[in-house]
Amino acid sequence: MNQIYDQCCRFHGRTVRITCNDGRVHVGEITRVNRDMVWIRPTGGLGGYGLGFFGGGFGFRRGFGRGFGFGFGIALGAITGIALASAFFW
Amino acid sequence: MSNAYLDLLAYFGIGGAHPGGFNLTQSILKDANIKPSESVLDVGCGTGQTSAFLVKRFKCQVTAIDKHPIMIAKAVERFKNDPSTVKVMEGNAECLNFEDDSFDFIIAESVIVFTNIEKTLHELARVLKSDGRLILLEMTAEQNLTEKLQRKVCNLYGIKEILSEDEWRAKLQQAGFTRLEIIDTPSELSPSEVDDINQSDNIKKELFDLLEEHNELINHYRHFIGYRAFKCYF
Repeated sequence: MNQIYDQCCRFHGRTVRITCNDGRVHVGEITRVNRDMVWIRPTGGLGGYGLGFFGGGFGFRRGFGRGFGFGFGIALGAITGIALASAFFW
Repeated sequence: MSNAYLDLLAYFGIGGAHPGGFNLTQSILKDANIKPSESVLDVGCGTGQTSAFLVKRFKCQVTAIDKHPIMIAKAVERFKNDPSTVKVMEGNAECLNFEDDSFDFIIAESVIVFTNIEKTLHELARVLKSDGRLILLEMTAEQNLTEKLQRKVCNLYGIKEILSEDEWRAKLQQAGFTRLEIIDTPSELSPSEVDDINQSDNIKKELFDLLEEHNELINHYRHFIGYRAFKCYF
């Protein structure tokens, strides 16, 4: 669990792809992290992404930010993988 | 010999971990014209994304090898519920466990640079049939690199040398390939979608640090190192 938390902190402010244990995939910018949840603001511009708009399943809670908001929250315990949504590798 | 960068790719389980990502794989293979009866070697298969694509697209006989046990485990996992015919096995590109003339087609996506390049090219040439073809996609120096930068890149990725395009050509010719074509690819080191991930639990902190170091290096030196895709025939 700590690992997911650390990763969320490292990727704060960056666009990530989060895979959950129910098979859902969410792509968005990390706007907030605490020990239990990570909030992402779904990004639209990534062609065919943004499945996370329809959250609401297990482990989901609406974000409570004002204005632009934090997006929506995902329970860290529901996350099986998190990575930058795009990256360069050899 | 262990390689921290390859550990990083293995533990994070990133599919399409090579320049251009899986999109480039698909576009490179688009006109490959592989027949169902042909045998294909995916050397340095990683978690097996390219192998899966090869079988789906061409219905050919694919053998996928990788040196990293975690990559192999993840590739096996990918195919466990799949009746496809990908044979996954642990193997070393420098010393292949196949007879001479075993394959009609070989693909190596950002693999050879992590090995003893000459040894690997000779092995690939040995197991490839005389009318076979080899596609490789490898890191290439875009200009003369200072010794300092070379050392930095070599240390970070655990590689021995960064060849220029001409040096790749020379080594490929030495290995017996007489006809070399450059496949047109985007010249920039642009990020590609990471949409095929199978991450391990308990990834060491050092690997996260390495990931950051890698991202930084790519940002700083993107004009110095690039990659080439070659199609090679005897």
